[in-house]
Amino acid sequence: MTRQHSGVDERDFGLESMASCFQGLIPATLFTCSRDGTPNAAILSHVDYVDSTHVALSFQFFNKSRRNIAENPHALVRLLDPDTSQGWRLRLRYIRSETSGPVFERMALRIEAIASYSGLKGIFKLLAADIYEVLSVEKAEDESARSAAAAGRRPAAADAVFTMKALQNLSDRIHRATSLEGLLDSILEGLEESFGFGHSMILLPSDEEGVFVTIASRGYPENGVGAEVRLGEGIIGLVAEARKPIRIAGLIRQLLYAYAVHKRAQEAGMCPPDRQIPLPGLPNPESQLGVPLLVRNELVGVLCIESEMPYRFHEEDKTTIELLGSYLAIAVQNMLLQERFEAMPEGTATPPGQKGAAATVTRPASPRREVAYYTRDECILVDGEYLIRSLPANILWKLLRRRDAEGRVEFTNRELRLDRSLNLPEWKDNLETRLLLLRRRLEQKCSDIRIVPRGRGRFALELGCSVTLVERP
Amino acid sequence: MIDTELAAFLQEGIAIQIGTRNAVLEPNGARVVAVKVEDDGQYVVAYVPKAAAPQVVPDLEANGQAALVFARPPDERACQVKGVFVDARAARTSERSFVADQWDRWLKRLAGIGYPAAAVENWQTWPCVAIRLRVTALFNQTPGPGAGAALA
Repeated sequence: MTRQHSGVDERDFGLESMASCFQGLIPATLFTCSRDGTPNAAILSHVDYVDSTHVALSFQFFNKSRRNIAENPHALVRLLDPDTSQGWRLRLRYIRSETSGPVFERMALRIEAIASYSGLKGIFKLLAADIYEVLSVEKAEDESARSAAAAGRRPAAADAVFTMKALQNLSDRIHRATSLEGLLDSILEGLEESFGFGHSMILLPSDEEGVFVTIASRGYPENGVGAEVRLGEGIIGLVAEARKPIRIAGLIRQLLYAYAVHKRAQEAGMCPPDRQIPLPGLPNPESQLGVPLLVRNELVGVLCIESEMPYRFHEEDKTTIELLGSYLAIAVQNMLLQERFEAMPEGTATPPGQKGAAATVTRPASPRREVAYYTRDECILVDGEYLIRSLPANILWKLLRRRDAEGRVEFTNRELRLDRSLNLPEWKDNLETRLLLLRRRLEQKCSDIRIVPRGRGRFALELGCSVTLVERP
Repeated sequence: MIDTELAAFLQEGIAIQIGTRNAVLEPNGARVVAVKVEDDGQYVVAYVPKAAAPQVVPDLEANGQAALVFARPPDERACQVKGVFVDARAARTSERSFVADQWDRWLKRLAGIGYPAAAVENWQTWPCVAIRLRVTALFNQTPGPGAGAALA
């Protein structure tokens, strides 16, 4: 890197050591100049690190800065290190605009995620990633760093979060899991205990094409099991759509920026007023990481981790995160296959038509609940409150009806698989996932009705209440 | 050019930067601690830390072209003031409290969005160089549709 300006600290300074400056936590300022010599200054939401001598700036609007760059490739960016408050000047020369490739895709996904949260999909989007060569890096003389002690925050270098030891700990937990439920919980527990990620959730594909459903979560007041996300919605939907990890730091500030765009776009009649999608999980997450769980390009699910720290996830963690996603995906898929396989043998379950153990007799003084099944929507409401829909609803309805008609309390996964009225696909029916989802929704919303595992491929339907079954169109 | 409402916005204590360019059209820039709108909005005085002034004053003396960008979190209202250089001088002691008050309001705003004032305790805010500009154009820079439109 050459140093062209005198009178400043112009040490050789690799951009890779300035990672915290590129998290988008504090806006940067871009200075450009038109061909006729008129300077321009504009606030930038993000400067992206490309490599040790290049950065990328997002091109979202045809603004004056962009027009100037087309005329005159010289630019200056003023950046701030959020850890130390040291100001920096990066002297840049525009090289090219990219509309595809890894840099563009990474920037576009982050912007799309913000847009999705703000109801701005299609308006707030990346047109190109403008690549600049960094000609020099200079300290701002008037913006000196705080001492590390005064800062009281993390040093500029990223903490080593994804260490081999932490990965090994997580791996050990995963190997100990004996059921899908245990596996999912151990993944989320492991993420907290080994990596310090206390807020996380796993979503698996639902019965409906392009819809993902929360199957496990950790660290939230409500477990949110059953909450659905569609492809392209928010960070989770975008991860599922792109099948790539998305990492957002300084989320609140970026959302504020997007809301400013949204307000102007709404005033200009460019977007409807009510398209905002509520943020999942934490009320005010500062950083989010979405990881696709991929096995041989098949999307098994999505892992979403949130943090109240502005930048918890680092660029240098990307490779490890992808690796972790693959590992978790294999573990989840293997467990699904294992549970399906274990549910196959006959002879261990209570045969259809025979009453199971009568350990779960309705107590005389138990409350009465109305369970209503809506045939058109294939959904179940308990005492007027939504419980579940689609295949898990059909399964519960069938179990309740049989229990009511035949007095049965024990059932097998196999008999559900053979039940043609449930319309399970022949291959990869995800029955075990649906049963787990159903069980957790019941735990959350109606603990008087319980699905209790009873060994390999068997479970009981236990009632702590009297149930009135009502079928409605 | 700058009306009363806009003058109040510019001086309320927000993020301000000044941009210039040299003879070969390379941009330069510096942080502005405070601004004062003068003479019915025809002029703006930008107070730039003395240590940062060499980044922009030589350009201004050579070609006079300047751009000031103003941005207010959290609503992201932003605008740009284009101007031509009139003069630069050391800021007077009598101006210090005006500059300090505006900077303090900016620090309070920063604290409101989670950036503590202590984080910038080592930044220079005084002495300053007072750079006077004659306003030539105003542009909206609030993000979104309409950004870049002339304000006056």
